Amino acid sequence: MADEKKETIVLGVVGADCHAVGNKILERVFDEQGFKVVNLGVMVSQDEFIDAAIETNAQAILVSSLYGQGELDCEGLRERCIERGLEDIILYVGGNLVIGKADHAETERKFKAMGYDRVFHPDCDLIEAAQSLHNDIRERFGAGNEK
Amino acid sequence: MTTEVLETAIGEEEFFAERKEVLQTWPTGAEVDLDEAIAYQKSIAPSRRFSEALRKASADRRVLVQPRAGVALVDEHIALLQKLQDDADLLPTTIDAYTRVNQYEEAQKGLERSREAGRSLLNGFPAVNHGVSGCRRVVESIKKPLQVRHGTPDARLLAEVTLAAGFTSFEGGGISYNIPYAKKVPLELSVHTWQYVDRLVGYYEAKGVRINREPFGPLTGSLVPPCISNAVAIIEGLLALEQGVHCLTLGYGQLGNLIQDVAAMQALRELAQEIFQENGFNDYALTTVLHQWMGGFPEEESKAFAVITWGGALAALSKATKVIVKTPHEASGIPTAEANLMGIRATKQIVSMLSDQEFTDDARLQEEVALIKEETRTIVDCVIELGEGNLAQGVVRAFQSGILDVPFAPSIYNSGKIMPVRDNEGAVRILDWAKVPVSDRVKAYHLKLIEKRAAAENRKPSYHMLIDDIYAVSKGRLVGRPR
Repeated sequence: MADEKKETIVLGVVGADCHAVGNKILERVFDEQGFKVVNLGVMVSQDEFIDAAIETNAQAILVSSLYGQGELDCEGLRERCIERGLEDIILYVGGNLVIGKADHAETERKFKAMGYDRVFHPDCDLIEAAQSLHNDIRERFGAGNEK
Repeated sequence: MTTEVLETAIGEEEFFAERKEVLQTWPTGAEVDLDEAIAYQKSIAPSRRFSEALRKASADRRVLVQPRAGVALVDEHIALLQKLQDDADLLPTTIDAYTRVNQYEEAQKGLERSREAGRSLLNGFPAVNHGVSGCRRVVESIKKPLQVRHGTPDARLLAEVTLAAGFTSFEGGGISYNIPYAKKVPLELSVHTWQYVDRLVGYYEAKGVRINREPFGPLTGSLVPPCISNAVAIIEGLLALEQGVHCLTLGYGQLGNLIQDVAAMQALRELAQEIFQENGFNDYALTTVLHQWMGGFPEEESKAFAVITWGGALAALSKATKVIVKTPHEASGIPTAEANLMGIRATKQIVSMLSDQEFTDDARLQEEVALIKEETRTIVDCVIELGEGNLAQGVVRAFQSGILDVPFAPSIYNSGKIMPVRDNEGAVRILDWAKVPVSDRVKAYHLKLIEKRAAAENRKPSYHMLIDDIYAVSKGRLVGRPR
């Protein structure tokens, strides 16, 4: 598949979080699963995610947070996306999103209320996550995924 | 501040000029009075001093047990440490992530929101925001020695505040708290700011107050081969000695293969002594710390305990002076006090059961010690040579050229080309050394061991093996076998 036809996603670890291992693995896996991956690495601000999504015409932003302060860092991203003209962009979030051992259903509810389309557990199957992203993009932007 | 100057020992006048600037970076800096701080430190009983606890444990060949812990608010933090202090030998104060990047305003907001929410929204204790007086409330409420644990590339103000408040040990280093913890902090800067921290500790030492310094051994905690982490630990030890530090604890992160891990600890201890003395340092106290497995943990608590006790066993068999413990909540992030206690107790059980056993006579072990020492020696010598008389400069150049290279590090100043994988018995070997300078014989030896695994798994050595290794422990194995 030609590179410009690929679905584009922006990837990064939000806030002051420097957990780099999973980020490097996500980049590999989503690349192998046929996405054009724009990886911003660790310690990414909300604005950097949005700038990159606008610049690359991305269909989705994948936010990771492993260090527990995700609740503070992830809040408001959907609103900021809307302000900057990315009403439809797909937002995924995953990792250890809150402080301490929490019930995943509760965390999922909390982050969906913030406007995230899907909320992932640190142990999730990455191939399945990539598959649901293909489906979500097709559903929201059509089969040719034209924006 | 200047970033080119990498002096060996910082002169007193220059140090005090820089101090003045450092203390102005947040209002609580104004509370720090060095003479008063020294007097306060001298009033702290030996039983509450890190250096004393480590000295005793080392003489008695006993392993001390220390958890990680830190929450946003002073009273809650005190309550947390008080729950741990009867079981732990040494206590930490783990610092939040905003403070680690010097975002004190964000930390302040997190602090206020934690107060409103009635629970900690920060992942640690924002010591700079609490200032000397807030930190002293913690120090005065706790009967065990206290250490600052964090991950801060520029920890100058944090060190000023916490040491003035009576903490007696400070973790970190110019490499180990930059390369694994930051994205774009130049090494010139972090090496300098950590020379400042070491200079401050050296100043306390010269006034009769011994502060323990602990470079962070495990680096990224993800399959870092022993020669890399040991080289960084020894170099950071040298950098600290240059600034007048006299009490050092060097660390290593457990990888999982018993022979390799015991060998790495022995090699670290022996080679550090050799290299320190070759460089003219003879007057210092050296101890070691073992970090229980730092990679991904199994979700289920019973399985997590198996990983925890394997680390405890290693600490005892490798005669570490202390062990940093994980908890059954590791897979899901920050633990409750109760979970933390369980990790401590499980570790103490195995450490004390194994306290009379030693593991040194094995021929394979001594072969592994020799291998690690040879690899580490080659790297350290190369860094010293690159420095042309200035080790700090050598460190910067070594990372620029990839001679020092840490796997999975987020820093753009790290080349990240080195590729570790486990061999067929789970020891971490190197498939691609990139620019790390070891002999062809050593490279061939690693490759031979990796090929043995490849043959057993009927696949070629590659990045896929490495990905499988990263997730292996959380899925119940050490070696990431194909699914």
